[in-house]
Amino acid sequence: MGERILDVKDLVIHYETDEEVVEAVNKINLTLERGEILGLVGETGAGKTTTALGIMRLLPDKVGHVIQGHILFEGEDLLGKSEREMRSIRGKKISMIFQDPMTALNPVKTVGDQIAEVVELHNHCSKAEALKRAQEMLAMVGIVPERYREYPHQFSGGMKQRIVIAIALACEPDLLIADEPTTALDVTIQAQILDMMRKLQRENGTSMILITHDLGVVAEMCDHCAVMYAGEIVEFGRTEQVFDNPKHPYTQALYQSIPSLDKDVHRLHVIPGMVCDPSNLPEHCSFCDRCTKKNENCAKHDPWIVDVEKGHYAKCFQYTPEWEGSAAAAGEE
Amino acid sequence: MEKNLLEVKNLKKYFSTPHGLLHAVDNVTFNIEKGKTIGIVGESGCGKSTLGKTLMRLHTPTSGQVLYKGTDIASMPIKEFKKNYRSHIQMIFQDPYASLDPRMSVLQLVEEPIRVNNRKLSRAEVSSKAREMMELVGLAKRLENSYPHELDGGRRQRIGIARALSLNPEFIVCDEPVSALDVSIQAQILNLLQDLQEQRGLTYMFITHDMSVVKHISDDIAVMYLGQMIEKCPADEIFRDTIHPYSQALLSAIPIPDVHARHDRMVLKGELTSPINPKPCCRFAARCPYATDKCRAEEPMLRELKPNHQVACHYAEKFVK
Repeated sequence: MGERILDVKDLVIHYETDEEVVEAVNKINLTLERGEILGLVGETGAGKTTTALGIMRLLPDKVGHVIQGHILFEGEDLLGKSEREMRSIRGKKISMIFQDPMTALNPVKTVGDQIAEVVELHNHCSKAEALKRAQEMLAMVGIVPERYREYPHQFSGGMKQRIVIAIALACEPDLLIADEPTTALDVTIQAQILDMMRKLQRENGTSMILITHDLGVVAEMCDHCAVMYAGEIVEFGRTEQVFDNPKHPYTQALYQSIPSLDKDVHRLHVIPGMVCDPSNLPEHCSFCDRCTKKNENCAKHDPWIVDVEKGHYAKCFQYTPEWEGSAAAAGEE
Repeated sequence: MEKNLLEVKNLKKYFSTPHGLLHAVDNVTFNIEKGKTIGIVGESGCGKSTLGKTLMRLHTPTSGQVLYKGTDIASMPIKEFKKNYRSHIQMIFQDPYASLDPRMSVLQLVEEPIRVNNRKLSRAEVSSKAREMMELVGLAKRLENSYPHELDGGRRQRIGIARALSLNPEFIVCDEPVSALDVSIQAQILNLLQDLQEQRGLTYMFITHDMSVVKHISDDIAVMYLGQMIEKCPADEIFRDTIHPYSQALLSAIPIPDVHARHDRMVLKGELTSPINPKPCCRFAARCPYATDKCRAEEPMLRELKPNHQVACHYAEKFVK
């Protein structure tokens, strides 16, 4: 079995402004083995990107705060690192691919320079060596290396995303965090990028966290999958476990709301209600107002994480031994 | 009674650019039956939105006909179109975050098209009609005085739908109405559009790049590539019996949310070629794994291969299952 590369423990992240405190991430636990791909799924505002920024220590200054928790990367707590130490980790050991390739690149620097910059900084080599490495990287992501002197606007969207990936991988990081890497792209280009990422993972053994809202992408790419809702991980397990046998009512509802390619349904299933306001989270289960399976316990207490099978967890009262009793009691009343 | 609400014949829209003529929509011909939905799919830049906007006369067509209930609306003066036909053909836009004026309240936003198109109505009549529309699309009355930034994407898109419906149109061009929304919200909006279609007998042209959405909502599907329609068939047939190599590639590229469905996909090399001054050949030839010299020399025409199933490929017969 591989070693554990990342271990996030009880992480809590708040955004604090003058008016309110937004509880973006609430006590999440994540583990990632070396060489594996972990999928982080959830809807807008579920806290996926905040988790990633927290791991990278890139939360917006003054506003974003890690309230508690530990982020153990290769056994060391990233939260205890100084800003200087973090700078030598970012790009070298942990890299991140941002969502929108159109805005992630510097428009006034050539792509070759942008890739070389990372290499020069981390490998302490000469500019010429760095540029050579930049060309190798371009070739690896499927762009003619001779184009290293060109500027971002001369490339198409899919190619810009490859360049962003080339920058992220230039120093062969151990962990790659990809935040919706293909959301802005067409499906045919998405297929090219995903194929490339899978190849890199196989050949270099890079571990990845893949953030997406597309369950299809998770099914194709990931070994493990974590479903986030209102800043919490409500379900975690191997991708087959979560997809074949979703346990949390939110995951189940999410599946039913996707139009299927091979089944004909007249109407789509809708999750009633709205995501609760993250600046005013309830004390009880945050999904209970929209849940079809709730009983009176759900509106009183916050459920804890329950093992439903080996390596498969869900944050729901249904799977606690007390559930049967209380459901029966509710039926009698 | 005419069966077809809209007949599009050889519609072209070219834009002139410093590098030459950009063929955004090139020789597109299709019909839409009343009360049905046609889905238009394709990658970004293939001319889907331009086609929608040209039907709406937001772009003036370069040539070709658009017959709406038998009248050509493509060549009539724009003034006449606006006066008599604009209210019949409406559009729902892609991005509910960008298509609404941030300084107008929900009620004002829904009132606007009603007021502009019915100058004779009094203020009270306009408001009451707008409230009726809000109720129809499921916007709570308490949201009347809210501003778009206070609402989530799904509610904003409902405002867009209310605005389009307020003129009692018969035909609505939906330009990626759910692409910016989360799946659970997407389901709500798709259900709403279907309900409205059943209640009011609306006809939709549904533009999207999401194949599962288009299959769910459409009766017919048309696949576009670089301004041309390359395949058109009933919605369920496209998944069972895809003929054009591009459509096959497009379908195989979709990630399926099922871990056991890991399939061999046909990954297309390269990207869209430029639609500026295209050569007279099959536009997909450069990326097509089956391309021959004939494909690189001669442009294939859209032809009927079986009832209701049209394909533009020289070797279409080879791909029929």
